[in-house]
Amino acid sequence: MTPATASPATAQHDPSAARAAAPRPASTGAAMVFALRFAGRELRGGIRGFAVFIACLALGVAAIAGVHSLSESLSEGLAREGRTILGADVTFTLIQREASAEERAFLAGQGTLSVVATMRAMARAANGQSGLVEIKAVDGAYPLYGTVALDRDMPLAAALEARDGVFGAAAEPALFTRLGLAPGARITVGAALIELRAVLRSEPDKLAGGIAFGPRLLIGEAALRQSALLQPGALVRWHHRLRLGDASERNIAAVTAAARGRFPDAGWDIRTRSNAAPQLERNVERFTQYLTLVGLTALLIGGVGVANAVRGHLDRKRDAIATLKALGATGGFVFAIYSVQVLLLGLIGAAAGVGIGAALPFVAAALFETAIPLPIAPALHPPALALALGYGLLTALAFAIWPLGRAHDVPVSALFRDTVAPERKWPRRRYVAATATVTLMLAALCVLMAYDRRIAVIFVTVAGGAFGALWLVAMLLMQLARRAPRPRATALRMALANIHRPGALTPSVVLSLGLGLALLVAVVEIDGNLRRQFLAALPENAPSFYFVDLQAEEADALSAFVRARVPQAQLERVPMLRGRLVSARGVPAEELRPSPAAAWVLQSDRGITYAAELPRGSRLAEGEWWDPGYRGPPLISLEKKVAEGLSLKVGDMLTVNVLGRNISARIANLRHVDWQSLGINFVFVFSPGAFEGAPQTEIATLTFPGGGDVDEAALVRAVSEAFPGVTTVRVKDALEAVGQIVSNLVLAISSASLVVLLSAALVLGGALAAGHRHRVYDAVILKTLGATRARLVATYGLEYLLLGAATAIFGVAAGGAAAWIVVTKVMTLPFTWVPGPALLAAGGALLATVCFGLSGTFLALGQKPATVLRNL
Amino acid sequence: MGRTAAIMLAGVNLSLGRGAAKVHILKDITLNIGRGEAVGLVGPSGSGKSTLLMVMAGLERPDTGTVTVAGHELNSMDEDALARFRGRHVGIVFQSFHLIPTMTALENVATPLELAGISDAHARARAELESVGLAGRLHHYPAELSGGEQQRVALARAHACNPAILMADEPTGNLDETTGQHIIELLFAAHKARGTTMVLVTHDSALAERCDRIVRLRSGRIDGETAGGGARQ
Repeated sequence: MTPATASPATAQHDPSAARAAAPRPASTGAAMVFALRFAGRELRGGIRGFAVFIACLALGVAAIAGVHSLSESLSEGLAREGRTILGADVTFTLIQREASAEERAFLAGQGTLSVVATMRAMARAANGQSGLVEIKAVDGAYPLYGTVALDRDMPLAAALEARDGVFGAAAEPALFTRLGLAPGARITVGAALIELRAVLRSEPDKLAGGIAFGPRLLIGEAALRQSALLQPGALVRWHHRLRLGDASERNIAAVTAAARGRFPDAGWDIRTRSNAAPQLERNVERFTQYLTLVGLTALLIGGVGVANAVRGHLDRKRDAIATLKALGATGGFVFAIYSVQVLLLGLIGAAAGVGIGAALPFVAAALFETAIPLPIAPALHPPALALALGYGLLTALAFAIWPLGRAHDVPVSALFRDTVAPERKWPRRRYVAATATVTLMLAALCVLMAYDRRIAVIFVTVAGGAFGALWLVAMLLMQLARRAPRPRATALRMALANIHRPGALTPSVVLSLGLGLALLVAVVEIDGNLRRQFLAALPENAPSFYFVDLQAEEADALSAFVRARVPQAQLERVPMLRGRLVSARGVPAEELRPSPAAAWVLQSDRGITYAAELPRGSRLAEGEWWDPGYRGPPLISLEKKVAEGLSLKVGDMLTVNVLGRNISARIANLRHVDWQSLGINFVFVFSPGAFEGAPQTEIATLTFPGGGDVDEAALVRAVSEAFPGVTTVRVKDALEAVGQIVSNLVLAISSASLVVLLSAALVLGGALAAGHRHRVYDAVILKTLGATRARLVATYGLEYLLLGAATAIFGVAAGGAAAWIVVTKVMTLPFTWVPGPALLAAGGALLATVCFGLSGTFLALGQKPATVLRNL
Repeated sequence: MGRTAAIMLAGVNLSLGRGAAKVHILKDITLNIGRGEAVGLVGPSGSGKSTLLMVMAGLERPDTGTVTVAGHELNSMDEDALARFRGRHVGIVFQSFHLIPTMTALENVATPLELAGISDAHARARAELESVGLAGRLHHYPAELSGGEQQRVALARAHACNPAILMADEPTGNLDETTGQHIIELLFAAHKARGTTMVLVTHDSALAERCDRIVRLRSGRIDGETAGGGARQ
């Protein structure tokens, strides 16, 4: 029956009248209503067979909605808590120098001023232990916003004040553990004696800081001044924080503009409460994108489940479709009916996912509020949820239109066939075009909504390539099975036949398992490489220690001291200052558009040096190195990748602010730098004489060629005892600190990848379940023809084993290739194949395929032949 | 009868279902079928003909009584032993053909040969298909074949292992008269040429008449038997 406006009675009595009545709906809307009515009738039998369809969509959409909701909640939290995180309405940070009296007076005139100094130093205990600490020296106004939590009921001022000439401090628990101390113990920092009066539970402005290489030591400003650490050129940051009487955005902007206008060469980094932790926000956005891509991968794998479910549904409805057509329904109308059904079911799945995703920030805030040191402000985020819903529906359509298009051409003769020949034909052009359009829309959405479009484009390309490659692998596998020589063993022969038969599980298993496994292998390989990079053995000839804040006069003494204790060690020293890039080619730094790989250079102050000769670990790439005796206008040597990222070339002018002075220099050459050597490397190297007269310190590395058995802890103790103003950074400790953060990130991505695996398992289970009816039929007929249960188990087991093995090989290869691309091209790190976890993942996938498959087979074997035959 | 028994049933009873839905299908069936004999099982719908055939093929276990086929007592066999027994001794033709839809005609016929471990399974399957006139349909899937062709594939499959016993359950039930007639001719020609014992379940009295003996069932009991036209020839 086509959509008819003629009365059924008329149509019944006069066929020609029925034809003349042209059973066409008056409008597209009416046609949709008509299709909707039929779709509803068709769904009366329930939504059996759509569990996997709904679950796949729900899972993928939930992942994307959840990640976006959580990220939005976090961004909102960061914005809301901006002034607490920043510790002020606006902060002016200077490196290596305090504000001048004039600057200070200007700032104090704007509102309440609080000055905080941060630096790294060595803490020494009376028991001989010593360790690196992150000092925060605060004045009486600290904190302007939020509260400091100590382990005991004591005002902060009381914890930090001087008593009998001994300053007080609060320290994070890790310092007590590392130095083996308890509250009340005393330590020496530089020249200051400090009593650890309390354990620091939390500080409100911690998030705005960078990576901590040591525990926090909170002291008073007076203690810092007495420590003798504030030597000229010492790496100390002075944060001048303002609490404004009028804290409106407009006034904040006015104060900022006034500061810039009045002190254009101050070289301060100005941050307001609305960008309190820009690095953290950038990381949140970047991380959100990675997790979204993981969610999309889950959704794409789920798409295979969607296609399987739709195909299975249409197979079951084949008779109904043929009957409708026999009664006059057009192919287009049949397509409309089943498209409406799929859309309705897709909406159910996607809506379930949206619900779960929307709840995630609330759940995360409730469960992990104390564990996650981030301000999550749980709320509903309709745009994020709509985006996830859009991803879900587009995915459902991208995978469903193809099989739905085939329903258009189901012949009426299907009614006269018991079973149906495999369909190898493509659907009509309009459905192929619709599939292509929806797929492109999905890809466009993915790229347009991405934080980093380059990565999104890579993802879309890789995902498309992986789908194509997996499809080819499936076809190749079926061809190989078809053309393989007939083995003698019956089970193997039948297993091979099962792999290439029409309606075989091969494409479903290869696509779902292959994609899931490829992602898993990529994640474990990236994880393995990062761990290797940060936590495993250091590169040969990498330094073991950095000595920072070496005053010129004590550098020689330290050299002699170290040489006397460890004569085999090499001490390398270079001058070091901190500077901020102010402009390039006359363009202010804030207006430069760096590539993502070079953006870090503009984000904060950078270490700079000067040298007469090309530094060790560097290679000249372009231009000429200056004459060792050069004393002309300042020249600069720039790291080549950074230069490319900032679109700079030899001959361009750069201006760098060092200690409140702008120094302009012409780029004389570009260098390749081997960062992995962990030696002293700088992005900016100036010609000698550029900083003559400027206060500066030296940085030194200590390397033990060929390793050597050295008591590093004893050396740290001895150096910090003899040179209290020198900060010793153990390279292993620093790498461990970075590695720990990387590990946590990889752990989060690995956990998110579980969603992908779950999706793959769902699709695999769904595909096997869809084939169950056929398996039962086959098993019963084969038993009737003489097949024993053992032979059937062997046959099916071998089939799953062959399928799983072929897919595992491809999954490992594809995942390895993806990991290689990410590690070498995105992270620009060396790649090493880590076989263990990848092979474990492949083995797990293989086992899962065989177990999943055989669990269905055992059910099929349990069927009594007579019962099944009677019902066929 | 004058022939050694190929099938012996003694006191066979079978019920299906449970509780209130339990139905006593076969009631105290005792029946011997001689080697090479063709027996037609006739009776109204629900009389137990097909169930009796399934008991003979080892596809259904009786509640009581003994079933001995080709010298093997089926009662004591487990499921796998029964499968092996069928593979060696029994060929079955179903009303609905029961071909495996994802296998070509050749693969369908080769399957019992492969299960029996016969090395030239495909060559023999090809010969069987040629003998039923399907040389040109070897690589067609069941859905690409007509009903008559599908039943001929099923017939070739049933004969592939040269079983001593052929059982056919309404083999023409899903076919038109002409096609059905052709299948019957093939069935009886093979029975004659191969000397198989044949048990034929049918509603068609004319078809039953071509057997050596006709056994009538009513409400699960043997209601009588008569000699068929085959015996009189």
